[in-house]
Amino acid sequence: MASEVVMPKLGATMEEGTIVSWLVQVGEEVEEGDPIAEIQTDKIVMELEAEADGVLLKTLHDAGATVKVHEVVAYLGEEGESVEGLGNDLSNLAEAAEDETEQPMAETPAQNGQQTRTGEKIRRTPAARKLAEDNHVDLSEVTGSGPLGRIHKADVESFMEANEKRVTPLAKKIANDQGIDYKEIDGTGMRGKVVKNDVIGRPVAQQEVAREAKRVPFKGMRKVIADRISESAYTAPHVTLTSEIDMTECVTLRGKLLPVIEKVEGMRVSYNDILLKATAFALKQNPALNVSLEGDEIVYHPEVHIGMAVAVPEGLVVPVLRNVDEKGLATITRETKTIGQKARDGKLTMDDMQGSTFSVSNLGMYAVDGFTPIINSPNSAILGVGRIQKKSVVVNDELAIRSMMTLSLSFDHRIIDGAPAAAFLTELKEVLENPFKLMI
Amino acid sequence: MKEITYLEAIRESMSEEMRKDEDVFIMGEDIGIYGGAFGLTNGMIEEFGPERVRNTPISEAAISGCAVGAAMTGMRPILEIQFSDFIMIAMDNIVNQAAKSRYMFGGKAQVPVVIRLPGGSGAGFAAQHSQSLEAWMAHVPGLKVVQPSNAYDAKGLMKAAIRDNNPVLFYEHKLLYNTKGEVPEEEYEIPLGQADIKKEGSDITIVATAVMVNRALEAAAELEKEGISVEVIDPRTLVPLDTETILASVKKTSRVLVVYEAVKRGGYGAEIASMIAESDVFDYLDAPIRRLGGLETPIPYNPVLEKAAVPQVEDIVEECKKLMNK
Repeated sequence: MASEVVMPKLGATMEEGTIVSWLVQVGEEVEEGDPIAEIQTDKIVMELEAEADGVLLKTLHDAGATVKVHEVVAYLGEEGESVEGLGNDLSNLAEAAEDETEQPMAETPAQNGQQTRTGEKIRRTPAARKLAEDNHVDLSEVTGSGPLGRIHKADVESFMEANEKRVTPLAKKIANDQGIDYKEIDGTGMRGKVVKNDVIGRPVAQQEVAREAKRVPFKGMRKVIADRISESAYTAPHVTLTSEIDMTECVTLRGKLLPVIEKVEGMRVSYNDILLKATAFALKQNPALNVSLEGDEIVYHPEVHIGMAVAVPEGLVVPVLRNVDEKGLATITRETKTIGQKARDGKLTMDDMQGSTFSVSNLGMYAVDGFTPIINSPNSAILGVGRIQKKSVVVNDELAIRSMMTLSLSFDHRIIDGAPAAAFLTELKEVLENPFKLMI
Repeated sequence: MKEITYLEAIRESMSEEMRKDEDVFIMGEDIGIYGGAFGLTNGMIEEFGPERVRNTPISEAAISGCAVGAAMTGMRPILEIQFSDFIMIAMDNIVNQAAKSRYMFGGKAQVPVVIRLPGGSGAGFAAQHSQSLEAWMAHVPGLKVVQPSNAYDAKGLMKAAIRDNNPVLFYEHKLLYNTKGEVPEEEYEIPLGQADIKKEGSDITIVATAVMVNRALEAAAELEKEGISVEVIDPRTLVPLDTETILASVKKTSRVLVVYEAVKRGGYGAEIASMIAESDVFDYLDAPIRRLGGLETPIPYNPVLEKAAVPQVEDIVEECKKLMNK
């Protein structure tokens, strides 16, 4: 009896997941606990594990498909078990829906839902490989007809036949005579056939080859980020306040704290850590900034959980540091370093990224002074941090060289007014310029 | 052309050589008046007398030593081992003496002996009289191994075996003894190491030996009806092996099935399969090289099980369809 494999609900707020790739081919055996597929959810990728021993009988969605939680994505069962009727209705529905919203990914349908690829490794016979190589055919585009999707010579041949440029004999002759590559021409005849008129008037033997733009499917993490950024930018009216902070005291403080914290945690305290501590302090003093809009209620969060934007190769993640206001700098240093590494290694869990009440985006390592950050919803405010730079400023009516930094605070003007936002930023400036206040 | 049986072809080949060359003689158990266990030497003692058709005691150790010794001292003996299974008792004389002498004496010694070995299953002789152990012999450098599949090949190869100055193991299949085939009236010889394309085809190459050649041909005829074109190649001699003919065929068809009666595990078909996989023809393979061999069991006495233990026509058909993804 086939058992269902469903899209797991990996976090309290997860509503759907995207199948990044199938790690097991239809027909392959799996043991309980083996990863079957990679699932991308709200900013993370996790493995979907088999809950029983068996053979993957059928998959209902191709890689790239987005599926609601608890919906069936595949069936496990005994080898040779009939898959007739399994999930037919569902897959038809899903395919129909997909057709309306998204372009189908593959032009040639995979036979019986079998995928030829296991990661990058393609099952193909030596003869198929040689034929493909000789004819510059990309085997990843060929559908295999053999067991487990193995590509045979005949598959490559039919692929080549299907992809052969259709051209009329006359057009071909003219093209050859004039040294025109008719394969490059988009034909205007039946099914893209190149006809005489397509060839005539073409510049003779054009040497220039158009350089092709790299095209990456807009999906996965990129899509998640895009949706969330758009949602925030277009629903929350953003206002950004900036303030220049004299960081000289903080520079001195960090210099003194470096060896101390390094001794305790074995890690180096950064300006970002001090900034997080100061932000938490200021948030505690200004609870009007530590809020979210949930439906028709404004929620004042009792805890200060700060989301920290971390750039990763695929985009951006915002892991959350909890109860920052209650923690000392040594602990904050350890936690930021640990969670930052986890983010860069792609090992963040759903819990690592949920529940922030405020976010900080630090571009201080770049030549950026101020910017207008977009709020990380469901937060209502975000602090953008610029670089620290020595500047000549007036201190006590005299010119002095001080380490200056610009903070940019974006807030959701629907629920936060200008005055409390300004008060928060002023408080933050005050504490950063007099960091001993963090002792309070 | 005339039509004679496989058994008659071997007898004829030996008799012709005995008439021409006085050094050639045959020896074996009950090969005189009785004519041998399969009647292959019927009438030979009448023509050549008991000096050249020598009845021996039932001791393969003794008679193989005798034959190897006679060969070393200038004669060209043909020794019949009643059932190829009994070669076990003669192993030392064949493997340690016959196979090594020419090499160890720097070519000064020659061992022109032919050892005739009725082998294979299907005749109801049970586990000790039905084996196909040719791979054991093919493993030993210095021995040549022949496995004819029809009367024409048997006669021509026997000629070459008798004339060869090295020990030749001549495997005859019991089920083939009474199969008829066309043989020319005139003298001919088939050199050792020359495979024969028994049937041309374009989709699958079957490399088969001994009785399996005939089964492969039957299977090919059946597959032809379903549009699968099979080429059947008979290596005829395992050592030396005509790799060229096999590889040319595989290059053409891009699919290979090796069929042999011996137990699949460690059988000579494994050697053929490996040879193909290691060759330049690898690039032309469009399916895994497949082998069809005997089951890992002693040959059963029960005739139904005996049949089931080794490849039959329908097994070959099925295997070919698998190769074609059908």
